[in-house]
Amino acid sequence: MSRRALRALLLLAGASVLLAVWAFPILWGLLTSLKTERDVLAYPPKLIFEPTLANYREVLFGSASILPNLWSSLVVTGITTILTMLLAVPAAYALARLDLPGKRSGGFYVLATQMLPPVGLIIPYFLVLQRVGWLDTYQGMIAIYLTFSLPFAIWLMVSYLEDVPREMEEAALLDRAGRIRTLLYVILPQVRGGIAVTTIFVFLNAWNEFLFAVVLGGNRVRTVNVAMFNFISVEQTLWARLAAAAMIAMAPVIILGLLAQRHIVKGLTVGAVKGGGRR
Amino acid sequence: MTRDFDDRATRCRAINRRQLLQHAAAFGAGALAAPAIVGNALAQQAGIGSYQQAKINWRQAAGEQITVAVIPASYFDNLISLAPDFEALTGVSVRFEKVPPGQIRQKAMLDLTSKTATYATHAADPMYYPLYVSNKWVEPLDRFVADTTLTDNAWFNYEDVLRAWRDANSVEGKLYGMPYDGEVTVQVYRKDVYDAKGLKPADTLDQFVENAKAVHDPNNRLWAVALRGFAGAGQNMYIYPSLFRSFGGNWFEGGKIRVNSAAAVSALDWYVDVQSRFAPAAVRNWNWPDIADAFSQGTLGVYIDAHSSAAVLNNPEKSKVIGKIGYARWPKGPNGKRVTSIWNWGFPINAALSDKAKRATWLFITWAASAETQARTSWRFAGPAKRSGVNRTSLWRSPDFVGLMRASGSNFVEAALESLEQDTDVDWRPRVPQWPAVGETMATAIQSALVGQKKSKDALDEAQTRIDQIMRG
Repeated sequence: MSRRALRALLLLAGASVLLAVWAFPILWGLLTSLKTERDVLAYPPKLIFEPTLANYREVLFGSASILPNLWSSLVVTGITTILTMLLAVPAAYALARLDLPGKRSGGFYVLATQMLPPVGLIIPYFLVLQRVGWLDTYQGMIAIYLTFSLPFAIWLMVSYLEDVPREMEEAALLDRAGRIRTLLYVILPQVRGGIAVTTIFVFLNAWNEFLFAVVLGGNRVRTVNVAMFNFISVEQTLWARLAAAAMIAMAPVIILGLLAQRHIVKGLTVGAVKGGGRR
Repeated sequence: MTRDFDDRATRCRAINRRQLLQHAAAFGAGALAAPAIVGNALAQQAGIGSYQQAKINWRQAAGEQITVAVIPASYFDNLISLAPDFEALTGVSVRFEKVPPGQIRQKAMLDLTSKTATYATHAADPMYYPLYVSNKWVEPLDRFVADTTLTDNAWFNYEDVLRAWRDANSVEGKLYGMPYDGEVTVQVYRKDVYDAKGLKPADTLDQFVENAKAVHDPNNRLWAVALRGFAGAGQNMYIYPSLFRSFGGNWFEGGKIRVNSAAAVSALDWYVDVQSRFAPAAVRNWNWPDIADAFSQGTLGVYIDAHSSAAVLNNPEKSKVIGKIGYARWPKGPNGKRVTSIWNWGFPINAALSDKAKRATWLFITWAASAETQARTSWRFAGPAKRSGVNRTSLWRSPDFVGLMRASGSNFVEAALESLEQDTDVDWRPRVPQWPAVGETMATAIQSALVGQKKSKDALDEAQTRIDQIMRG
C-alpha cells in the first residue's frame, strides 16, 4: 500500500470515529423510536426487529399529542427569529460602521446582558410577566426570548459586517445610493452567509430553550421540549415515545439547516473584491 | 375561558330527564334493553349524586376559577378526567397545569414567594411544608376541616385519611396539605428466583445481604440488588433516610441537625457495600424508573422502592416478570425498626388567594380527597391505569381495592398495608425549612461515597460542615 493510500485510510478511519460520536445518538434515537417499549429494553439490544410506527402515531395523534406543542414551538421560535434578525442586522451595522456616541460602551452593554446566567434572571422575568399578565402567552415568551437572542445575533452580525470591505460601501455611497440602499443592496448580499448562520443559531437556541419555557410557559404555550419532558414521568419513562417525539422535534431544525446550507456555502465563496475580506 | 356552569348543570339535569323518559319508553318497548339504560343513567348521576349527601353548600363559591398544578402521572390524569363533575357540582372552574416533577417545586415556590396566587393549590412535596409554613405561604387547613359550612365531617371523615400522611403534611400538629395520593416503600423481589433457591424475603438487613449473596449471578445477567443511586434530595435521599433511621440515627441532636453520627456512617457504609457488591455498576445513575425497568426485564433479584412501581412491573407491554413478583416490608435494621417513606402528594391552599378562592380551593381539595373520588380514580376508574395510592384506611381495606391489587403479585396488599400502618416514621427525614438545601447536600455526600470518591465518614463530615452553614443561614 502506498504511503498516500495509507494516509487516506487513516484519515478516513479517524473521520469515521468522530462521525460516529456524532451520529450514534441520533441513529440510536431513530431505532428506538421505531421499537416497541418491550424491544427498547431488550438485551442484547436488538438491531433487527419489527419496526413499528405506533410511537409516532401515539405522539402525533394520541392522547398526549405533541402537535399543539410543535405549533407553540414554531410560533415562539419563528417570530423570535424573524424579529431578532430584523432588529439585529441594522443594530449590528450601526455598531460596525457608524460613528455613534457611546458606541463602545453600548456594544459592551449588549454583550453584558449575555454574561448573567439565565437561572439568575428567571425570577425577575417571572415577576415582570406576571405583573403585565403575560405569563403563559406568546408575546411574553417571545419578549423574553428576544432578550437572549438579540445580543447574540447582534454580536455575530457585527463580526460579519466588519469583514465587508469598506471600499464597496464607499463606492456605493459615491454613487449616491444612500445608507439604507447601500445596506440593502450592497452590504447584505455580501453577508448572506453570515445571516444564514446567525438565523440558524438564533432558531436553534430558541427551539432548544428549556428553562424559560418550563417556568414562563404553561398550558397555553408549552413548547415541544417541555412536552417531551413529560414522557419522563414519576411513574415510568416511555423511551420509545420520547425518542419518536425527539425525532419529530429535530425535523424543523434539520430542514432549516438544509435550506440555509446553500447560502452558507455561497456566502463563503463569493468574493466581491479581489483578495476580499479584512486586511 | 369562563364557562356558564349553571347552564351546564341545567343541561345535565335535562339529559337525565331525557334519559328517564327513554327509560320509561324502553320499559314499554322491551324490558331487555332496560338494564343498560338504567346503568347509564346511574353512571351520569354518580358524577354528582353521592357528593350531594354532604350537608354543605357545594355552590357557595360558584363562579370562581382556580388553577391547580400537578405532575404528569396517571394518578392525576384520572382526577383531571373527573374534573367536569366537580365543575358541575360546584360551579367552580378548574384549570390544570401539568408541570414535570423536577420543575413543580420551583414553579410553586416562584408563585408562593411572589404572592401572585397563580396556583390555588399544587401537588406538594411533604418535605416542603416546614418552609411554606415558616413563611406563611400556605393556610393551616384545620380551620377548614372544623368549619361546618365547608366540611361535613360525617360525610368527609377526615380521620379516615391515612394518619401517617396527615402527620407528614402537618407542622406543629396542624395540617397544611391534604394527602391525595401516596406510597410506601417495600421490598420487591423475584419470587420464582427466591423459591428456586429456597429463600424467603429478608426480614432483617443482614438477611437481605445473605439473600443477595445467594441470588447474585451477573454472568447470567442477574444482579441481586438495586437501590436508587442517582444523586438528589428525592432520589438517593429517598432510600438513605430509611437506612439511617433503622440504624438508630437521629436527625437532631441538641436541637441541631446531625448527619455524621456513628449510626449515620454505618448506614452509609451498608448502602455503599451492598450497592458495590450486588448492584449493576450503572446503579449510581439510576432513579427508580430505571430500577423498575431493569427489574421488569428480569435482571434484578430484589429492590426496595415505592409500592406504586408495581404498575410498571405488571405492564404487559414492557414486563417479562409478570406473575413472578413478590412483595415484603422493609427489612428490620440493627435497631429492630423498619422504616418506610412517608411520601405523598398533598394539596395545600395558597395563602395569597382571596377568601372566596380559598373556599373554592377547599371544595376542590375535599372533593379530590373524598372517599368517593378516591374510589372513582382507583378501582372504579374506567381507564386502564387504576391508582394504587389511595389516601384512606377504609379504602385500603375495602374488598374492591384489595381485589384489584391482588393482581400485582404475591403479598402485595399485606406488605403495603402493614408498612403503612406500622413502618411509617414522621422523622424519616429532617423536617426543617432548609430541607431543599439540606437534602441536596446529603444527596451529594451519599453519591460521593457510592462512587468511591470519599469514605463514608469523610463524606458525611463534609456534609455536616455544609449543613451547619446552611442552618446558620
